Amino acid sequence: MQLQNSSSKPSEDLSKNNLQDENMIVENSPAEAIQSWLVTKLSKQLSLNAKTIDVREPLTRYGLDSIDAVTLVGDLEDWLGCELPSTLLWDYPTIEKSAEYLVKEFDVSAAVSSVASSNVKDASDDKTEKVEASSKSSGWGGLWNRISGS
Amino acid sequence: MHQLKQYWVAEALEKDLGDPTQPESVMSFKSVMELDEREEFPEKDVEWLYNWNLHHYHIPVEYGGELKSYEEFVAFVRVLSRRDLTTSITFSTLFWSGLVWMAGTHEQKQKLAKFIKDKHGAMCLAYSERAHGSDLVASDVQATKVPGGYLLNGEKWPINRATISGISVVLAKTDDSGGARSLSLFVVDKSEIDPAGYSNLPKIKTLGIRGSDMSGIRFDNCFVPEEMRLGQEGAGLELGLKGFHLTRTLCAAFSLGSADTALRTVLKFSLGRKLYGKTVFDIPHPRTTLVDAFLDILVCDCVTIAGARSFHVAPEQSSVSSIFVKYFVPVTVEKLVQNLSVILGARFYLREGHDEGIFQKVVRDNAIISVFDGSTVVNLHALILQLRQMAKYRAKRNAATYEGLRSRLETRFSLEAPLPPCERAKFELFSRGCDDVLQGLEISLEHLYDLKTDSSVDAEVLQKLITLTSAVLEELDAQDEFLASSGFEFGHDQSPELFELAKKYCTLHAAAACVHMWIYNRKVLGDFFAKGEWLAICLNRLLMTFRPSSGIIPSIYIENVAQELLKLDRENKMFSIVPLQLAQAPSPEEKTHAASELQLQA
Ligand SMILES: Cc1cc2nc3c(=O)[nH]c(=O)nc-3n(C[C@H](O)[C@H](O)[C@H](O)COP(=O)(O)OP(=O)(O)OC[C@H]3O[C@@H](n4cnc5c(N)ncnc54)[C@H](O)[C@@H]3O)c2cc1C
Repeated sequence: MQLQNSSSKPSEDLSKNNLQDENMIVENSPAEAIQSWLVTKLSKQLSLNAKTIDVREPLTRYGLDSIDAVTLVGDLEDWLGCELPSTLLWDYPTIEKSAEYLVKEFDVSAAVSSVASSNVKDASDDKTEKVEASSKSSGWGGLWNRISGS
Repeated sequence: MHQLKQYWVAEALEKDLGDPTQPESVMSFKSVMELDEREEFPEKDVEWLYNWNLHHYHIPVEYGGELKSYEEFVAFVRVLSRRDLTTSITFSTLFWSGLVWMAGTHEQKQKLAKFIKDKHGAMCLAYSERAHGSDLVASDVQATKVPGGYLLNGEKWPINRATISGISVVLAKTDDSGGARSLSLFVVDKSEIDPAGYSNLPKIKTLGIRGSDMSGIRFDNCFVPEEMRLGQEGAGLELGLKGFHLTRTLCAAFSLGSADTALRTVLKFSLGRKLYGKTVFDIPHPRTTLVDAFLDILVCDCVTIAGARSFHVAPEQSSVSSIFVKYFVPVTVEKLVQNLSVILGARFYLREGHDEGIFQKVVRDNAIISVFDGSTVVNLHALILQLRQMAKYRAKRNAATYEGLRSRLETRFSLEAPLPPCERAKFELFSRGCDDVLQGLEISLEHLYDLKTDSSVDAEVLQKLITLTSAVLEELDAQDEFLASSGFEFGHDQSPELFELAKKYCTLHAAAACVHMWIYNRKVLGDFFAKGEWLAICLNRLLMTFRPSSGIIPSIYIENVAQELLKLDRENKMFSIVPLQLAQAPSPEEKTHAASELQLQA
């Protein structure tokens, strides 16, 4: 997978920083932090190997449909703590472009640095994401027993 | 006149159309059945509506029209729809002007207002294609950029009013690479393009709304000038989806009109027909079915009116408020009509007889509402994708959020509160987790507790309302807790269980809407409404879909609802939380007078 910031380090081999082991990620810039957040998110939610995600490919290539892309902006907002255009990922349809845009147009430093210092882990602090990671294979499965118990 | 001004237009229209059971009325059951039998476009009725200036209520006041409030709008569409869905759905393709009011340039808006007002113009919405219905991004119709405009190629089908309308709003591909920005919208004025560039497809035979102009349109290298593009190139999907927020909510008015006629005609039958020495209405099962239908309408009213008012109060929540209405109301009314058909027995299947056979037409016509403008599954799917955000947001509410919620709830639900103009530019593709109705449920529960000291409220009813509202809240809390701790998947492969979860969410939403409606209008909507027994029964019925019956409702409450149903029927008032006066049949003397006048004219 590609994690480089396109403008500054085009050739450096960051592929060893792939998200196979999230705890290993060392963040170099806000744009990279956002990129890896998106890569992690996509790899988990679309059941993809993070290594296969190229930040310069359109998100739709990974099966992210237009409406999903809108919902993903909601999660990004939660993480970054600012309101973003709902069509962000329509207008900047690759991970690289959207990260670049976010860094340029929004003050993302606070969110990014706090996450970066505690490693990217999973973009979010609540238990939601942890359960998500562990229960990926079953998705929302098992739900019926739990809510319609009455 | 009703004390709520926003219902005056509906009442005036109703009065001028006349009682539909009288053959001489405009759009009488007799005449709409005859048109339907001949599958004939209701040209005269449509022209009558233009002459009545109903089209002015589709144009915002800023552009010289009368469109001020969507609550008012829903009320008059309901009055039309109780007579005939063919005409109502045909006339209401004017809804699609909403896209231009939302995203058009000043010139485009002025031009459209003139087209509608001066030329009695109408438009159609051309999104669907034979190969793609719900999947808009897959559209095949191409708009290829050429100097000064675009060349359109391809076919849209099945499209209501494609042939008999001057403007087609066409969704077309402007970028071959695909994706969310690959589509653009064009407001194609047929009078300004080369007739050789397009052709209308033949009329399609349908189960219901048989007289409507169901057809399609085909473009062959058709040049459309740049000025016909709506918004930026690539904005087609975004605008298309936002346009649905408006129309999905307005579709509920079609359903509510159908429900009124279905209930009225079956009630009339059940009061007139004698079996075993009593009327059908006196047999417990039919009586309960009729009462349940009335209660369903009251719930749908609360959901619809709140949805229509939300465009003015919380336009940024349009993506969810419209889903709640478009899912809940058509589906509830379909079931209600089906249940009522049991009472009509064999007659439900006859194309003549009782009230000219209008009931079977309602069954046929009404069945399309849950399909078009985004089907039931499409709406539920869109809700599924936003559920987790809503649960998260709800968990994070704080003092400041509550303050905003409190004030928005009051304006949204208090029918006496004036509505601010609708800011369509604030529509959003997702609501950022906000849903005032369910997120403000605790506020109304608080109000209920406060009412304990109010002597005008029956203590027993109040206690039941508190118990039932608390149960709604418990269900919501349990659901939110589950959502917060579950994984989430994108895409179209959501499990069937999730669709059930989304339905439950809509049901809880409906319950909350009813509670708010009662809290904010106890003193406005009459004694029956104020007493709140209907609310207790409705909450109990809604909860029953996922909780076993609690036996909380005394039978006298149900009897009181039955009496109210009979009273509204006797007084010829709408079955509604806002029971406006329906057109009266002329008295026998008036009739003879009219007849002799006619003879004199002849
Ligand atoms: C009387 C009538 C009037 C109409 N008027 C118009 C008009 O004016 N303008 C216009 O553009 N179109 C119009 N249509 C077309 C109508 O909007 C489409 O039929 C509708 O969008 C559904 O598309 P489809 O029938 O091709 O079903 P498809 O999109 O092919 O869907 C087939 C089935 O797949 C499943 N499905 C689809 N999406 C999902 C999802 N997200 N989640 C789960 N399941 C899913 C559902 O079971 C669905 O029924 C009209 C149709 C009729 C019958």
